[in-house]
Amino acid sequence: MPQKSAVLKRKNVRNIRHIVQAAFFILVAVTATVSVLAERGIKIPIPDASLHAICPFGGVVSFWQLLNVGTLVKKVHESSVVLAVIGLLLSLLFGPVICGWVCPFGTFQEWLGKLGKKLFGKRYNHFVPKNIDRWLRYLRYFVLAWVSYMTIITGKLIFQDYDPYFTLFNFWTGEVAITGYIALALVIILSLFVERPFCKYACPYGAFQGIFNLFRIFGIRRNAPTCISCKACDKACPMNIEVSTSKVVRDHQCISCLECTSETACPVPATVQMLALPGTVQDSFKKKSETSEAAK
Amino acid sequence: MSKKPLSLTIVPMAVIIVSVFVIGIAGANLLGVWKTTNTKEPVKIKTGEFAGLPNPADIRGSYTWADVGKAFNIDVQHLLTAFGATDPAVKVNTLETIYTKETLPAGLEIGTGSVRLFVSLYTGIPFTADEGTVLPISAIAVLKEFGKADSSLIADAESKAYNPAAKQQSAAAKAPATTTPAPASQPAAAAKPAETATAAPAKPATTATTVKAVPTAENPAPAASAKTTSTTVAGTAETHEVKTGTVTGKTTFKDLKDWGLTEEKIKSATGGKIGPDSAVIKDWAEPNGLTFSELKPKLQALLDAK
Repeated sequence: MPQKSAVLKRKNVRNIRHIVQAAFFILVAVTATVSVLAERGIKIPIPDASLHAICPFGGVVSFWQLLNVGTLVKKVHESSVVLAVIGLLLSLLFGPVICGWVCPFGTFQEWLGKLGKKLFGKRYNHFVPKNIDRWLRYLRYFVLAWVSYMTIITGKLIFQDYDPYFTLFNFWTGEVAITGYIALALVIILSLFVERPFCKYACPYGAFQGIFNLFRIFGIRRNAPTCISCKACDKACPMNIEVSTSKVVRDHQCISCLECTSETACPVPATVQMLALPGTVQDSFKKKSETSEAAK
Repeated sequence: MSKKPLSLTIVPMAVIIVSVFVIGIAGANLLGVWKTTNTKEPVKIKTGEFAGLPNPADIRGSYTWADVGKAFNIDVQHLLTAFGATDPAVKVNTLETIYTKETLPAGLEIGTGSVRLFVSLYTGIPFTADEGTVLPISAIAVLKEFGKADSSLIADAESKAYNPAAKQQSAAAKAPATTTPAPASQPAAAAKPAETATAAPAKPATTATTVKAVPTAENPAPAASAKTTSTTVAGTAETHEVKTGTVTGKTTFKDLKDWGLTEEKIKSATGGKIGPDSAVIKDWAEPNGLTFSELKPKLQALLDAK
């Protein structure tokens, strides 16, 4: 009986993140939709803002132009810069929590992933061979570099035509390029096989946020002496990070979803936790053998 | 005794994330920096003869007709008549839904770029339109009466203007046995001033033309109008030929180098900056604090002096 209530408690705790995600998804969907309707003369008494105005990535790619010229990239507004600063602050403290808790497109992929899990069971999220997957994960940094360079050169939001996130919330507006539809279709199909494929392989903002995993203040830490090596944390991680072999998770792909912690997946209390980290970047390379020795 | 590190669980994390967003946005709002829309004030031209005047190149699709009229001191009724619009509160980017690709001949475009071109010809403030950007013939009638740019520029714009009436006549002449209904999306106002319209023969793309702006009795010249203006009216895509040594909206830094300008000479025009070879100068200029309309004559002068 106590075991059953513990399982229920874990499920309820995990749902808190899902509720936060759903709330942000609805907020963004309503705000963006009301904005498009307002442009067409249909006024709804809800505060509206274009998707660009509430996307922190617009603020990130505008920084260069803002610092050099004092203006923003076309279609980007001051609100994007505010959100980018909020994102920066959260990332410095907790890593890419925006990805794991806020981003509506990450949420959308997670929802599709639930269907994928039902279809493929344990094979889900394990289709891509590890040695290939490992290198594919760096693709998003090329996307980030390309998008940043092109935005600086042209002063325009160059990624919009390829952005599946923009397409998701604007597919009905006639503003979406064919490449955007193709990107969204690809993400939808891939999400049935891989958890968060866009976040893993192509998201430029995810790449930017991922860098903060290397020096974030709070991070996921595994307590080796109490770890029973059941690998429940590895199985729970949507980004396929091997938490069970790390002392401190500083993997650039961590989205700070806390799915691996002792509150949710890990069966041993106080073994995998989000803690203020005294560690350094080197910790991410310390594998199980070293940490076990240290424990002895 | 070792100090226990601060730990975070899911509930506090959720509270922190939501709170940071709420407090951050509320704080930005209080400080007046939470802006989700444009100010509808185009950037001012920073240097040259037109310094201090609003730049037509910065008119955005999200501006309403009223915004454009206010920013450039143009009678909003003139704008509405020119583009066959009726509501000053409607955004100028709706032009792209009125004049669709299906309505217009291939390669031509009537959209926000056309509004920029119209404002330039109306006020005499320089602007370089993209290739294929044209005006509806109804705009020419307004410009002939109120435009402050040189009449040759307006005549040039007229020669390329889109005239739906002429299009219908041409279609009817080609197929006399059948009737050609006007496209549903064709604006009524654009078709009206047929009596002032001329046919729009295809012409090779024009290059930059330096002209004197002509003030009219009805519209006293603004500060800019007595100055030398440089406005480029786009040609049609079908007839465009790239002229070697002519700076256009599509010229890249590589083109300039190919035409014999050294990096130092280019930098002398751009104020010490230079973009990558593949960068289109027009696109590169704005993010670097320059306006193409100012840069173009300088670069052209360097090329001409060679």
